[in-house]
Amino acid sequence: MKDFLYYKPKTIEEACEILTRYNGEASILNGGTDVIVRIHDGLNHPKALVDIKGISGLKTISFSKEDGLVLGACANMNAVINHKDILENYQIIAEAAHTVGSCQVRNRATIIGNITNASPLADTATPLLALDAVVEVFGVEGPREISINDFFVFVRRTSLKVGDVVTAVKVPYYKELKGSYQKHSRRDAVDLATVCASVLMVDGEIKIALGSVAPTPIRCRKAEDFLRGKKLTEELIKEATHRALEEVSPISDVRATKEYREEIARVLVSRGLRDLMG
Amino acid sequence: MKFVGESVNRVDGIKKVTGSLKYVDDLKMSRMLYAAVKRSEYPHAKLLKVDITKAEKLPGVKAVITGKDVPNRVGLYLEDKTFLANDKVRYRGEAIAAVAAETHEIAQEAIKLIEVEYEELPAVTNALEGIKSDAPLVHPDLGDYKWGPIFFPEPGTNISNLYKIRKGDIDKGFAEAEHVVENQFFVPHIQHSPIENHSVIAQMDPEEALTIWSSCQSPFAVQKALSVAFGLPQNKIRVISPAVGGGFGGKAGTTLEGIVIPLAMRVKGRPVKLTYGREDEFINSFVRQGMHATIKTGINSDGKIVAVKNTFVWDGGAYTEYGVNIVRAGGYSSTGPYDIPNVWTDSVCVYTNHPVGGPYRGFGMSEIHFAIEQNMDILAEMLGITPIEVRRINGLRPGGSNATGQIVEVCGLQDCLEDVVDKLGWEREEKKPSSKPNIYIGRGISCGFKAPSMPNNVASSAIIRINEDGTCQLLVSAQDIGQGSDTTLTQIASEVLTIPPDKITIKTGDTDYTPYEWQTVASRITYCAGNAVVKACQDAKDQLFELAQIKLGVPKEKLILADEYIVAKGNENKKVPIKELALGLSMEDGSGIHGPIIGRGSFIPPDVKNTDKTTGQGEKPTAFWTYGCQGAEIEVDIETGKIKVKKVASSFDVGKIINPKLIEGQVEGGILQGLGSAILEELILENGIVKNPNFVDYKIPTADDMPEMIISFVENPEETGPFGARGVAEPCMVPTAPAIANALYDALGIRVNSLPITAEKVLKAIKEKQ
Repeated sequence: MKDFLYYKPKTIEEACEILTRYNGEASILNGGTDVIVRIHDGLNHPKALVDIKGISGLKTISFSKEDGLVLGACANMNAVINHKDILENYQIIAEAAHTVGSCQVRNRATIIGNITNASPLADTATPLLALDAVVEVFGVEGPREISINDFFVFVRRTSLKVGDVVTAVKVPYYKELKGSYQKHSRRDAVDLATVCASVLMVDGEIKIALGSVAPTPIRCRKAEDFLRGKKLTEELIKEATHRALEEVSPISDVRATKEYREEIARVLVSRGLRDLMG
Repeated sequence: MKFVGESVNRVDGIKKVTGSLKYVDDLKMSRMLYAAVKRSEYPHAKLLKVDITKAEKLPGVKAVITGKDVPNRVGLYLEDKTFLANDKVRYRGEAIAAVAAETHEIAQEAIKLIEVEYEELPAVTNALEGIKSDAPLVHPDLGDYKWGPIFFPEPGTNISNLYKIRKGDIDKGFAEAEHVVENQFFVPHIQHSPIENHSVIAQMDPEEALTIWSSCQSPFAVQKALSVAFGLPQNKIRVISPAVGGGFGGKAGTTLEGIVIPLAMRVKGRPVKLTYGREDEFINSFVRQGMHATIKTGINSDGKIVAVKNTFVWDGGAYTEYGVNIVRAGGYSSTGPYDIPNVWTDSVCVYTNHPVGGPYRGFGMSEIHFAIEQNMDILAEMLGITPIEVRRINGLRPGGSNATGQIVEVCGLQDCLEDVVDKLGWEREEKKPSSKPNIYIGRGISCGFKAPSMPNNVASSAIIRINEDGTCQLLVSAQDIGQGSDTTLTQIASEVLTIPPDKITIKTGDTDYTPYEWQTVASRITYCAGNAVVKACQDAKDQLFELAQIKLGVPKEKLILADEYIVAKGNENKKVPIKELALGLSMEDGSGIHGPIIGRGSFIPPDVKNTDKTTGQGEKPTAFWTYGCQGAEIEVDIETGKIKVKKVASSFDVGKIINPKLIEGQVEGGILQGLGSAILEELILENGIVKNPNFVDYKIPTADDMPEMIISFVENPEETGPFGARGVAEPCMVPTAPAIANALYDALGIRVNSLPITAEKVLKAIKEKQ
């Protein structure tokens, strides 16, 4: 049977304390769109669920040029998609969030849940990677920050420790932000990414992040380094794409073969770069 | 006509839109128990031990059953299944034991306590392997089973039906043909994916009368199967189908009822409920059979096909009680809607250790047309004629002969073909060039046909009761499974009685109170149940006229119905309202005669006869044929292989449109379902295991995938149909997938010979061509 204890703490300290007490056998309940499904399918068997939605302040989305964007842990995807500051300054985050599940799912699901679930194909992971976001964490020793680039460790594994609660994700403000989120899936709506990509020009530098091509969402550093300081040409795009492909290691599963994922990664990277040329 | 041909709103619309309609799983009863099922972990294994002692001891468990408790073999056409496995399991997921308990959770827990020991057997996981002489036998006792006389199992093999067509002289045909080509195609298993999962509640009262609430297409078929399986008389089995949230064939015949009833029999008085989860839907309810097709065609340079040799090998799954008839339908329809003089077909139903194949919208036609219609395009290209031309040359016309040698009398195929070609403007306009270099545009066409695949003598009936205020109750057991039969049957009654639809209440699906209907399947309801409704209303009309002639002093031959009155022809002042005679005729002296008007109508399709056992040839093998054509325009991204279906035009000869809005909706649904099977859907099977039994990895189309649809109809009346109507529910899905496949060839010159035509397969084919 799927018995578990349900906690709804009012403070972050209390949440951290309960999670620590269960020493890894408790899960955080946020939107629940991953956690509940995994419990139902018998993949996770937590002894307790710690609902963080009762903690004040976690739903906030704020933006200023000084602090950038702060996305509270409990802000749901639809709130993100429709947020004026996000649409003006970080459209790619809204685009990626918009491709997650269905409208109903997006009323529950959160970006923080999406990244802490740490699926290799998490839609909102690649824009956050490409934007060098920072994950705000509250843990046993108080608050700390983890770069998104150090956050994903393996399939469904992050660098979070027992007792950690992600309170927000911060995205720096960039004067110039061009580019888009691309998702290739079997069906256009309500589907998981077969491969997804965020290819951006951020204050003059090109950033490339890919999903569903490795155990974690990845940054294509070799391609980025190669392009740094250069003006994009068809030739350079071809070479950069080639380098990006050296960084991927996809698997074959029911959604696609390894070879097809490589092919699609190639297409998405080169399309993303070509869009930045214009 | 006043009511037939009008877009009357769905009579069940408000209940469905507001959510007030109660489906089986919505029904909660006092002291209800919950069932759970222990299922096989192996595709093929001997059952060495099924130990239920621990489960029985769990507090809250009220009954546990195993296959030993339900030993009787049942089946619609071939009695090859038991409701729970006995001695061995034949697919992964087969029911082995079942539990009824106070709560769903206790039932689930009890299932885990059932201990099963297996001895794994080599499994048949490919139908082509299954027909080889050294293949493991899925049903070694096939020879002991019972089957209907129109099926041809081969005991000692995995072949549960070998249906043959031998028309003309195939060798002579090939010898004389100027060109001979052979092509192969494959269609995988898919699932119906109705919104409502299967659900059943069974309750046995102390007098051993059984009531079943089931989300089923065919209450009377369920009643009969249960009567055979459990040795209960039919008058003691009441099957109620309160509402069906999508069937598509998956709720035809008998499904999970047989698991719940033996539990209910052990806990008399207490209702027992079982509702399938979505994973059960994918694995443990009917699936569409897989099929391997080989088509060898002889054709002359003038485009005339002179000979065709078809081998259709169907992956019937673990039990083919229903599948054998799909294979038969695939056999007698094996030329597609084409007039070919020399035909040789073997349509072979093969047992495998896969989920159980069964009826699915199209009943074999979608599968064979995927092969036939691509083959037509291949032939056209070989001869340098257009896909439209090859169909004009070979497509059936009135007076032509189909695979069974039947001379077809009514056939609007060519009208539908021209209609689609005209609507899409393909012969007037060149393809518009694509605006993007990576996007290619393709146009594809496909014809299609289907007959109701049912035994010749299946029966329908209807009762109409007229109330004192002139309103009516119409009783049938045809089920509205979304297709709109409640509305169209009401319209048919309205038309005969001149009583408007809002004054007629239709009631369906209760074997104690609504009259017999064989099954809601085979695109047969408008035709069969519609005819029964016409007859019932005519019977009521006849009774009314008997009384009215006394009342009005006008002989009944001179009476007509008009606007709810019985009127003397030519003397419209002489009339009496129908309602005045509803309970009989009151005489001037205060006496009365006749009593309430209750019209009854029974119908069996006339003159449908068996075909010859060895040649499959016959005069009239089916009640009717529905012909049609569809054209698709697609965009293909050559870098990713992804297909976007932009436009589909459809034209079917439906004889007579009963309700324009409903029929359009039905065709839209068919196109979208066809589109899903074309580019998305496949039950991925590996070693007998379904790898994607969920909507995460089994994708059906969403509203977002809907193409522009141009839907039109041709109306060549069906002589024996109600107001000339024939069925279109299944046929409208048949041409969609091959039209899309042909459009892909038109776009890029590549053929993907297996469904679904995924982006990955397309990209692979593009690369292989380069």
